[in-house]
Amino acid sequence: MLESYLPILVFLAIALGVGVIALLLNFLVAPRNPDPEKLSPYESGFEAFEDARLRFDVRYYLVAILFIVFDLEIAFFFPWAVVLDELGATGFVAMAIFLGILVVGFIYEWKKGALEWE
Amino acid sequence: MAVTQAIFYLFATVLVVAALMVITARNPVHSVLFLVLSFVNGAGLFLLAGAEFLAFTLILVYVGAVMVLFLFVLMMLDINLQRMREGFLNYLPLGAVIAFVLVVEMGAMLAAGGSGAVVGGDGALGGTEAGNTTLLGRVLYDTYLLPFEVAALVLLVALVAAIALTLRHRPDVKKQDPGQQVRVRREDRVRLVDMPTEGAPYAPDTGATGSKGGEG
Repeated sequence: MLESYLPILVFLAIALGVGVIALLLNFLVAPRNPDPEKLSPYESGFEAFEDARLRFDVRYYLVAILFIVFDLEIAFFFPWAVVLDELGATGFVAMAIFLGILVVGFIYEWKKGALEWE
Repeated sequence: MAVTQAIFYLFATVLVVAALMVITARNPVHSVLFLVLSFVNGAGLFLLAGAEFLAFTLILVYVGAVMVLFLFVLMMLDINLQRMREGFLNYLPLGAVIAFVLVVEMGAMLAAGGSGAVVGGDGALGGTEAGNTTLLGRVLYDTYLLPFEVAALVLLVALVAAIALTLRHRPDVKKQDPGQQVRVRREDRVRLVDMPTEGAPYAPDTGATGSKGGEG
């Protein structure tokens, strides 16, 4: 069974190789003579005015949390999809109820305006 | 089997190094990225142990969603990095105690059930006969139907609670409503007013008043 994951391992190795080779080539080939001015951070040619970290709107959290909820829903779908032909109608109805409850939440968030970006 | 063990040791080594980097990296964003790396390697270990569904969930939920939330928090919240690093050594004894307890527990577990192979797909639920995603699916939507539906309710509660806690409508924001823009009709925008034309031509009488104003 583990053999079926071999392509993923090969993929990981190639991805790692490409990343490392790109960095290594850059490190070896690109000219480097840094001085303090070159290395100093700047924004639009000026010295940085303030820190990059700033308070931000809580609605980013809202989007992320809504995403996590529906991501977890997807996690429930995978075992269902694998065994659906064994389960038959019961499994289908079970997932329909599950999905129905979450669609209630989806309609609620849509109507409430949580998906609007004012 | 030797290849599998080599891959196991590769994943385990990277996992341990990445976990160490999570707590020692100076930049919290780097910590999160190392946490992602350790999650990916943990998923690899789960796969090697035959727990494909756990590996999958780890990638899908933790790397895909939870880490995004972590990055949101860390990249944009104004936290003082210097102050966060101050208590690093103070927490060392507590961390050492917890690590010791964990090591003892893991050792006890390995000593108790040590006969089965950890690597190679036989150790976890399901073995080689059918993947554990299949076995999980067989019981989850049948025997454990009620807990499964309750999970949907829990997700619904989480969704509603998140909206109730964080949704603020801002009345002062001006925005366009495309639906209204499309539906608009000529009568809503243009008003034709019927007026009689003026008989006499327009003749402003500026001379007298202008000179008076200048004198005063």
